[in-house]
Amino acid sequence: MIKTKTWTVIILIILALALAACAWVFLRPAEGQVARIYLDGELYREIDLAALTGPERIEIRTDRGVNTVLAEPGRICVESADCPDRVCVDTGWISRSGAPIVCLPHRLVIRLEAAGEIDAVTG
Amino acid sequence: MRRTFRLIAPALLALALLLALAGCARPVTQAHSTTVFAMDTVMELTVYGGSELLDGARDILTGMESRLSVTAPGSEISAINENGSATVSPDTAELIGDALGLCDMTGGALDITVYPIVRAWGFTTGQYRVPGQAEISELLENVDYTTVSVDGSAVALPEGALLDLGAVTKGRAGDLIAEYWRDNRVKSGLLNLGGNVQAIGAKPDGSPWRIGVRDPFSQTYLGTVSVTDRAVVTSGGYERFFEEDGNTYWHIIDPADGYPADSGLLSVTVVGKSGFLCDGLSTALFVMGEDRAAELWRSREDFDAVLVTAGGEIVITEGLEGSFSPANGWTDEDVRVLRRDQD
Repeated sequence: MIKTKTWTVIILIILALALAACAWVFLRPAEGQVARIYLDGELYREIDLAALTGPERIEIRTDRGVNTVLAEPGRICVESADCPDRVCVDTGWISRSGAPIVCLPHRLVIRLEAAGEIDAVTG
Repeated sequence: MRRTFRLIAPALLALALLLALAGCARPVTQAHSTTVFAMDTVMELTVYGGSELLDGARDILTGMESRLSVTAPGSEISAINENGSATVSPDTAELIGDALGLCDMTGGALDITVYPIVRAWGFTTGQYRVPGQAEISELLENVDYTTVSVDGSAVALPEGALLDLGAVTKGRAGDLIAEYWRDNRVKSGLLNLGGNVQAIGAKPDGSPWRIGVRDPFSQTYLGTVSVTDRAVVTSGGYERFFEEDGNTYWHIIDPADGYPADSGLLSVTVVGKSGFLCDGLSTALFVMGEDRAAELWRSREDFDAVLVTAGGEIVITEGLEGSFSPANGWTDEDVRVLRRDQD
């Protein structure tokens, strides 16, 4: 009798865990607006813009040069850079997933990635 | 009773474990992604398959860049441009031949010999300037794709003409990578070659890829198209431009007059099976404007398009009616549908 009870408990626990895991996978809330900074294709830093309460300045210094990134609640931009074309600075603020900020000379890419929205953007 | 349970219990336990392990199982094939800096842009490659498929794709991209770059001194295109003629690899000869066919199909709205004019405006270097009318007229004399000859692997140009395949290279690269992955039994993959998007198959769960169509008025997208096995390519004036004396000059030059195309469109997105076709047509339709673009679309079956007009209207061809949905402030009221049987 004790054995039967033990089995029952074990099975119920495993079933409960399995259901909980499924529920977590399918029902977890969508991520907030996450900005990901990539250097030469590698993830350099992740910033949850929704969780920021004030501005945050990040200086990114590599062999290729310097970009100063400014993150504020809900938006992010490259504030200044010593690259020749300054395309990254001219792009200005981005606040929704869409076109990324790209600094080709410094191989810096900043993307806004909201979960489950779209897979890629043209242009 | 106890005996029966003792027999059933292990089976139930196994079932519960199976549920725990497999019930929420993610797709069996793992995704691999990489970033490639090539062709003067940043590229994202994602494949549901082995990571060696990314290395192969990277080789295709760097190989094409070294053969086809108009600025790299050692490329096959540079050899043609410097010497007026050259013997090139079969792939390059084929691409030039196909590109000439596309120039023809668009009535010259796409012209792979327009490079000297693009250069005169400074779009190749960033040293922007407005050339004088005399300079443009003189350079225009050498802009004519029909003067390019391809005979087997021998390519020749008249004196003063320059060849640039920039309008179709990323598109062809997408096709070649897609073909290479399909040959290696890839069922699902996504390429974003600097804004040229190409979907291989559907997503691993079988649903179509959702591709954002770039909004020429902002940094975000104006809507999405849902696609399976399709390329989606956008061209627009927003990509590269400069302002002088209150005028905006962008990098897409009308080969007919040598000035930035002023056709009433701000961007053109082309959706189709061939990345090459979508790439070349996105530029050509931008030059042609809505009426000529619609005419070309009605004469063919191999592409659909999203046009954004200067008046702030989104015009879609009817093949996209079910798969396009506006987003980020755009609504169905901004969307007009072009039909095959209307004038």
